[in-house]
Amino acid sequence: MSNVSGKAYALTTLIPIRNDHIGEVAYADIVRSRLENWNMLPNSPMAKVPETYLCRFYLIDDVYIESQPSGTGPDNWADFLPVTPNALRHAVLPKHDRLQSRYLVFSSELHGDRDTYLRGMWLAISEELKDVFGFCYGFDEVHNADDFVAYMKKCQLNVALFFNGSNDDPLEEQLKALYVKQEFSRFVVENQGLPTAELRKKFLTFIGRVAPTNVQFPSWTAGQYSLPKVQDKQQEAAL
Amino acid sequence: MSNIAGKAYAMNVITPIRWYTAWMNKVIFWVALKFPSTLNGLLTLSLIHYARWVIIGRNQFPHIHPDQPKENLNYSYMLFFSNFNGSWDQYVDSFTFAIPTGLDMFWKWNIRYSRSVPLTPFHKYIQYNQIETTHYYNAYPLAASNDVKSAKKLRTALIAFDNATREVSDDEFQKQYNALLRGLQHDFGDMRPTPIVSMSAAQVEKRHRRDLRKAQQEKVPAIQEVDDE
Repeated sequence: MSNVSGKAYALTTLIPIRNDHIGEVAYADIVRSRLENWNMLPNSPMAKVPETYLCRFYLIDDVYIESQPSGTGPDNWADFLPVTPNALRHAVLPKHDRLQSRYLVFSSELHGDRDTYLRGMWLAISEELKDVFGFCYGFDEVHNADDFVAYMKKCQLNVALFFNGSNDDPLEEQLKALYVKQEFSRFVVENQGLPTAELRKKFLTFIGRVAPTNVQFPSWTAGQYSLPKVQDKQQEAAL
Repeated sequence: MSNIAGKAYAMNVITPIRWYTAWMNKVIFWVALKFPSTLNGLLTLSLIHYARWVIIGRNQFPHIHPDQPKENLNYSYMLFFSNFNGSWDQYVDSFTFAIPTGLDMFWKWNIRYSRSVPLTPFHKYIQYNQIETTHYYNAYPLAASNDVKSAKKLRTALIAFDNATREVSDDEFQKQYNALLRGLQHDFGDMRPTPIVSMSAAQVEKRHRRDLRKAQQEKVPAIQEVDDE
């Protein structure tokens, strides 16, 4: 089991969706549709969940089995010996599995420990979670953060191998570092070739504005997908 | 469907393994975990934020309620999740070119695994077994994995530089400033939104532009009426 890599945690859950329907629409399709509605919001509800680096939701409607073409030994025999029974050829083909339930997969790469994260998730977006998870087996017994943690633990799968190609700092630190990188890159371009005294003065003003040791402000926000327009124009002018 | 969130792409692949060989895949992953040098090839693929492999035994699909029917499967299943930068082709091809042997080890004994070389059957294998993501969230859609890593290095160096140069002469400041820029030259960069940050962002922006247009159209006749009077 390797759900943990340093201070990063890989949470994997498979949540079974009830085999029921409203009218002609299966619960699983309602779950999918409601998650797709999240795509239409100004930002994902998951932006409110502390310490989420990346996360995803998808549905497993069924499992995949590749079958034909075959090309195995019995096929070769059949080429020479037409009497080779078809049953023998089929016996060596992959078997066809069918799932009894459809599953909602929620996986998240996060900073810190699982229980604190799940508790934070419930506190931040419990209404959105009820709206989606309400169609899953056993979720009607979830009424508070502790219930939610216990529920998700029952649905959790252990990771065989977790590869962290990024870093495992708290999200706030990562966002601050990205903000500082963006601002300092701009500062360097804008102030090339200045006399030392002037450069130093501007650098001190820059440090005062950007406050690289203050992780909270100013910084990027979680899920921020655009830059302030003013900054954009300044960057264009600088380049 | 939303496989894209800014510069990250979410890949999900599910592949069957014979239940009696699944333990061998687990051993391979265990060895990779215990001897991290075996993952050096993966580290060279700096386009990956995070990736994971999960093996579900044929009797291990979560069963959490008495009303839920029990699964009755022939195979165990391996789930692969990856968050990477760039296009699907770039990613799959870079896997093949950088770590073909490692790739074959991880997917060893998966049913109908074609091996990573040649490319076309491998592409088909992944395409056939890939599942689309319904909702994908990225805390830093403007940044690539390399941005996250370089940003940490840059911020640390900047704070150290600021502390070290508060009391020094102008000449020394300039000397250390030049050294700072030399040391960070691979870490600078201007992050910008990709043409489509995500399906959601694209839709939100589209609606916002439409609302602005509507507001302007409503405003124009109102102005004309005032002029007429």
